Amino acid sequence: MVADKGKKSKVAERGEEQDSDHVDGELVLSIEKLQELQDELEKINEEASDKVLEVEQKYNEVRRPVYIRRNEIIQSIPDFWLTAFLSHPALSDLLTEEDQKIFKYLASLDVEDCKDVKSGYSIVFNFSPNPYFEDTKLVKTYSFTEEGTTNITGTTIKWKEGMDIANGNGHEKKGSKRPLTEESFFSWFGETELKNFSDGVTDEVAEIIKEDLWPNPLKYFNNEADEEDFDGDEDDEEKGSEDDEDGDQDDDEEEDDDDS
Amino acid sequence: MVADNGKKSKVAERGEEDSDHVDGELVLSIEKLQEIQDELEKVNEEASDKVLEVEQKYNEIRRPVYVKRNEIIQSIPDFWLTAFLSHPALSDLLTEEDQKIFKYLVSLDVEDCQDLKSGYSIIFNFSPNPYFEDIKLVKTYSFTEEGVTNITGTTIKWKEGMDIANGNGHEKKGNKRPFAEESFFSWFGETQQKNFSDGVTDEVAEIIKEDLWPNPLKYFNNEADEEDFDGDEDDEESEECLLQNFGLPFLGHLQDSKYFMGSEDDEDGEQDDDDEDDDEDDS
Repeated sequence: MVADKGKKSKVAERGEEQDSDHVDGELVLSIEKLQELQDELEKINEEASDKVLEVEQKYNEVRRPVYIRRNEIIQSIPDFWLTAFLSHPALSDLLTEEDQKIFKYLASLDVEDCKDVKSGYSIVFNFSPNPYFEDTKLVKTYSFTEEGTTNITGTTIKWKEGMDIANGNGHEKKGSKRPLTEESFFSWFGETELKNFSDGVTDEVAEIIKEDLWPNPLKYFNNEADEEDFDGDEDDEEKGSEDDEDGDQDDDEEEDDDDS
Repeated sequence: MVADNGKKSKVAERGEEDSDHVDGELVLSIEKLQEIQDELEKVNEEASDKVLEVEQKYNEIRRPVYVKRNEIIQSIPDFWLTAFLSHPALSDLLTEEDQKIFKYLVSLDVEDCQDLKSGYSIIFNFSPNPYFEDIKLVKTYSFTEEGVTNITGTTIKWKEGMDIANGNGHEKKGNKRPFAEESFFSWFGETQQKNFSDGVTDEVAEIIKEDLWPNPLKYFNNEADEEDFDGDEDDEESEECLLQNFGLPFLGHLQDSKYFMGSEDDEDGEQDDDDEDDDEDDS
């Protein structure tokens, strides 16, 4: 363009502003329409999430009475949860020798979701009266807030005299320094540090118990009962007797009857 | 027990009857427990099926919205390129050469199988371009019942001297490509079979499907108003910011675009780096 600067700039300006305003205007319009569609998608996604949550809530209620029945049957299987824990690849590492003795008083385990499922859940260990602590119920509770944080509460265990193994005062080890790997499982109840979703896994032990052990503990219990035969993922007709007919015995022989 | 061996063993045997009795009860309990687990498994399967039904239903509802969205995106030049470059993870995957190719990217599409559980495809639609013959580059993930993921990807028909996915880009002719300069397009050739147990199947695919595809505008806007944008806000602020910041950062991407009719110069005469369409005398 070879015009005088004044005119050129005016024309250029008008050209630039009007044309680019025009282009920008269309662009802005498109982006606005796009935003509307994203809003529409977001509504759809929320509706989908709500519906999925409804399904999960419904089936949680269906499962509840089954878990109660299961708990009753487990009462007739000595050391069921102890055995299941010890047979679980990850959980077995968490129990010290002393912990295992305490677990013999473990009457039942329970995992309870909040009714709405999304607010959180509790893991409940029910104990019979024992020489270690006063409590008959040790609970750890996870509450999910709308903001995305998780509040954790855990029973402060009322240890009996000289029994506080969770804090290194077990009478067995009196005077000895506890190596790190010998941390008691029961210290888990005291780990209530606040976590964010963005931190990833809230509490690995809780997740394993809730998502893996609780749905099917028999799978792990059986693993112990017939180590050679059991194939981790099978839930088939296989019976779960502790001793096979040919007299194979398991390592943890806590109820020794007179054998031939 | 202090009895003669014969008697003792008999008593012991009878004692065994006791332990048989105990074992018998035990076996019974465990069998009942197994039945309960079987019952729980049925309940869980039913729950999974119902959840899948919900997800299938809503996928069908989303489909026409995605189609409409695609049409609108056509009027936004370099939308997907911009969104890619604004995504914290994906931006690292595009080399300079890739970005040039992406200017020919017309649309992106993520399509689930109708039943959802069998898999999905990620489709890049291109306009005719000097780099490859294809107008559609697809990567497909198929989930089998056994837990294996089969992956297929378009074998790109690169034009002469353009095969940058294999280090033959004419730009870098003769130079060895450093690792970080691996072309994004080599992703289409990564089709090794995976198992669920291996964990994440294909991170790029997951990011595109789960993060970019549901809301690419979030990332696109991030580019447009870098200072003001608060990642999770979908309110009117983003539009205002767009207008306010509708200057350098955004226009920078437009100037090479065939859609852009305006000039590359702002009123105050600022210029971008890539001045390829210089047709004006600057003041």
